[in-house]
Amino acid sequence: MKPFTPKMLAVARREFAQRVKSKWFLLTTLGAPLLIVALMGLSVFIALENATGAADSRAVIGVADRSGLIGDLVVEELLADSLQAARASELDDLSLSEAGERLSSVSYEMLLAIPSAAGRRAAEMEAREIALPTGEEAGDRTTLFSRDNVPTITEGTISSALRRASVRARLLSLGIQEIDTDALLLRTRFDVVNVTESGEARSQDLYRVVSFVVAFVFYMVLIIYGQMIVRAVLEEKQSDIVEVMVSSLRPWEMMLGKILGVGAVGLAQLAIWAVIVGGVAVFGVTAGSATLARANIDIASLGIPWGAVTLVPFFLMLGYLLYAGMFAGAGATISNEHDAQQALIPITMLIVIPFILIQGVIQNPNAGWAVIVSLVPFFSPLVMTSRLFIAAVPLWQWSLALALLAVSVLLSAWLAGRIYRVGVLMKGQRATLPQVVRWIRHG
Amino acid sequence: MNSPAIRLHGVTKTFGEKVAVRDLDLEVPPGSIYGLIGPNGAGKTTALRIILDIIGGDSGSVEVLGSRNITDMRSRIGYLPEERGLYQKMSVADHLAFFGQLKGLRRKAAMARALKGLEVMGLAERAKDKVETLSKGMAQKVQLLGVILHEPDLLVLDEPFSGLDPLNVDLFKRLILERQRGGATVLFSTHMIEDAERLCERVCMIARATKVLDGRLRDLKAAAGRRDVAIAFEGGNDFLDAPHLVDRVAEHGGYVEVRLAERADPQELLRRAIDYGAQISRFELVEPSLREIFIEKATAVGISHEDESEDEAAA
Repeated sequence: MKPFTPKMLAVARREFAQRVKSKWFLLTTLGAPLLIVALMGLSVFIALENATGAADSRAVIGVADRSGLIGDLVVEELLADSLQAARASELDDLSLSEAGERLSSVSYEMLLAIPSAAGRRAAEMEAREIALPTGEEAGDRTTLFSRDNVPTITEGTISSALRRASVRARLLSLGIQEIDTDALLLRTRFDVVNVTESGEARSQDLYRVVSFVVAFVFYMVLIIYGQMIVRAVLEEKQSDIVEVMVSSLRPWEMMLGKILGVGAVGLAQLAIWAVIVGGVAVFGVTAGSATLARANIDIASLGIPWGAVTLVPFFLMLGYLLYAGMFAGAGATISNEHDAQQALIPITMLIVIPFILIQGVIQNPNAGWAVIVSLVPFFSPLVMTSRLFIAAVPLWQWSLALALLAVSVLLSAWLAGRIYRVGVLMKGQRATLPQVVRWIRHG
Repeated sequence: MNSPAIRLHGVTKTFGEKVAVRDLDLEVPPGSIYGLIGPNGAGKTTALRIILDIIGGDSGSVEVLGSRNITDMRSRIGYLPEERGLYQKMSVADHLAFFGQLKGLRRKAAMARALKGLEVMGLAERAKDKVETLSKGMAQKVQLLGVILHEPDLLVLDEPFSGLDPLNVDLFKRLILERQRGGATVLFSTHMIEDAERLCERVCMIARATKVLDGRLRDLKAAAGRRDVAIAFEGGNDFLDAPHLVDRVAEHGGYVEVRLAERADPQELLRRAIDYGAQISRFELVEPSLREIFIEKATAVGISHEDESEDEAAA
């Protein structure tokens, strides 16, 4: 059986030409990069806005300290972080629940209530057993009462102010008077560099991002082009042209033609995007080389993982073919867009699941479950490619994943072909599962 | 090429409980023009689809252009289904060239033939336009052109004239006959018995999935005997109310077609008409129409007239 017959290629060529000429293609090909840039800009804007918004906060934080050991220091540190704060000594003697009740009658927007045990633990190196004041439980924790939602960034600032106040209080108790707590608490950063067998070094953080981006692109490609195949099959059924097609070529020629035609559209689109991204990257590197030099990043030593880069296209192609066959088969069991959603949910789920797992895989690409998931044909296109970028994947693992994937592609093509042959002529009702099983068994 | 263009033997097809085609034998001689007639829902389309290997029969054998492997014969067949669609967004010439390629023509050759065909049809200036801009009549021409572009040896047409305007009916008939004179075999289905009567040399009649009649039109008529009288008259038709003379009456607008009763003498009917005062302008012994033969045969095998009435409503 020769798969690349002239008739099949004619179908593929028609499918490709029609779609590339459509407005949709122009819109998505140019629109998607613009949309991504716009989204990135928006998220940067939001981050900046949040950061400045917190610093500008006019809300006054009252600090009540039942221990009396740390309250003043906390106020100082809050003020140092440009938050509005005042010592609320008149509320010092209240228990937590009482303090909460009083918030509505005081002039503070927020009230930071430090129970005496908590204040003691923060201020002393060795907290001794103490008698708790009335109304206080041993487990009571420092609590921030607020009239309104507390922005995450404000919460973080208060937390670090508390930590610094605590350090200063302890140092004071040791007899150290003045000290730059910021310098004392400076976080020590470090980079993780993976070294491959050939001695190449590569930044782990960078390739975590690359790995996620690749998985995301795969996810989008499978979803978008899968839907497109379903639409192509539906178009055929709805335009009453299918009978002429079926009387002229074999159903699998028709199906394969559609799958390859739509796939070629996808390749063309990815190629255009690659050129755009490449162009922007080259421009960015040239323009920003001074910055990169200052940051001590050498482009030449990024350690491009050629193994992964070489294997990715194979996983993409086979993954596309696997899902394309499934989508085409599913498309043949329905007759209108309305039924499409329902029929496609199971297949879409198979694409969504690995995408959800990707986060975990990136955190620990060699975990037992991640290895197993990366071998499963439905998931390997996303998961194995992600692992290839960030982990030293043994040869047997990726070759087994590829082999299983290839076998599944043949299996799915065979099944889809049988469903397609009967389903493509069917109109009206959506085929039930038992019907589809009968089609597969009797062809 | 003396083997039949199409040979079906004992073909049966059921969909669930419903029998669509029952034990059908059919032999279409090469170069003939063959009509498959019968009311809607009789199984004509199913029979055609089995011949084209679009669906498989449950039992029986199918041979097309001397081969049991119909898939290999597809490029020599032109098929016009009852439901005809075109890709709306394609240009007319591209679309026809695509149809040509599906029938095994090379891309360039298909395009050349498409352009030539459009010229013959008077659609040359529309070649680059999108299909969606065509009028219904033009689209019908493009559809037919797509079927004959590759000069098939066998034309299979499902209700080719339904939905056509009169000009296109004539055009279709002309082009179909042209292909037949060029050596092609034509098999077409229709529920309009008169279409078949005008075009066909041979007919096969199906009713309720079963063949009721098959053969040369001339032979069928001869076998039915000259027992029909066409009478045009003015005045009351009371004289026809005579069971010993008249078996059945079919009104044809300007005249009536009377099937004489067994051993009835036409002269006696004429005398009776004059006795009743009818003004006779025509009294002619005629060959029975295909419709009459069909009704007679269908009744004989126990199929009621109800199947037929559907057909008349459609006509």
